[in-house]
Amino acid sequence: MLALALALALGITLGLLTNVSVPLGLLTYLGVAMLAAIDACLGGVKASLEGSFDDRVFVSGFITNTLMAAFIVFIGDRIGVRELYLAAVVAFGMRTFDNLGTVRRLLFVRWGWER
Amino acid sequence: MKVQSHLPSRETFVHLKDASVKGLHASERVVGRSFSEARLTASLAVGLMLVGFLLVAQWRGAATFTHSLERQSDQNLAIIIQEIAAENNALRGEIVRLQMRLMETGQESEDRSRVLNEAAKEMQAVRVVSGLDAVSGPGIIVTIRDPERVLLPQDFVRLVHDLGAGGAEAIAVNGTRVSATTGFAGFDGTIRINDDVFSRTYEVSVVGHPDNLAQALELPGGLSSTLSTFPGVGVGISRAEEVRVPAVLQHDFEYAQKVENP
Repeated sequence: MLALALALALGITLGLLTNVSVPLGLLTYLGVAMLAAIDACLGGVKASLEGSFDDRVFVSGFITNTLMAAFIVFIGDRIGVRELYLAAVVAFGMRTFDNLGTVRRLLFVRWGWER
Repeated sequence: MKVQSHLPSRETFVHLKDASVKGLHASERVVGRSFSEARLTASLAVGLMLVGFLLVAQWRGAATFTHSLERQSDQNLAIIIQEIAAENNALRGEIVRLQMRLMETGQESEDRSRVLNEAAKEMQAVRVVSGLDAVSGPGIIVTIRDPERVLLPQDFVRLVHDLGAGGAEAIAVNGTRVSATTGFAGFDGTIRINDDVFSRTYEVSVVGHPDNLAQALELPGGLSSTLSTFPGVGVGISRAEEVRVPAVLQHDFEYAQKVENP
């Protein structure tokens, strides 16, 4: 867990140091893709706590979900339904909260806080 | 005699073998588990690092977007456009005002420099005419020989007049500049110009158009032919590209006073 928190902090520090900024045109694409990435990471944490983690599933899920999310936004832009990105946001948002709840419960079990 | 064997029995060997195989399997499982845990942590760590990096980049992009014009509402955009248009108009007015001032200043300085130039030219002309400056230029040199000393001051007065009619701009006799206050006097075959006295040989340097000056003297019945009729007098006229005429030595006005309001 500590290693994961350190990795997240390292990523944030790298971002702050490199002064990279997302161009305005790509803001929505990357935003939704990032939601998908967060969801994939939480899913990975959940799986690892459950003991069913498979790195191939995680890596492929991470890549596919982020690309798919950006693609949905792109398609929405092209076919004139700009709000299509909302579908991705809702789907990934729900999954994220779902995963978060499971992770929380599993952590309770691991730390012996469960009644 | 029965030999006591110290070797373990066959069952013991089988038992030992089973135990070692089990231990090997267990250790393999432990290694395999720790290896898969390392892979798990590494892949998750890379994913989270990517998420952290993107988070910052996205944060920065969104902050720029909030301040960009695309984010503004229509009303705000209309107000911004109005403000920019008003500022633009004010700046245009400022440009026109400044251009007019620039033109006025340019005109003023041009006028001033023209007046100054004209004044300087006039000043120079006045100095040349009054003989205050030594001058040089094309002209003629008139050489008069009078061995019999028969020439009179009025002959030189006529010479200066004729040269003036021929367009002479500066005249000097034997190196003495003829100016507005110059008079010719003399007696007994000598000629006094200002304070210098000359006789027998005279060299008159004249600046002006060489042909016009020569023509003024060589006209039929002109001074050259008149003087040549006098006994012993010889007149020579030579044109020169460069004739030097010295300045008047001094101008002291003892009586004349400038009139302030003519």
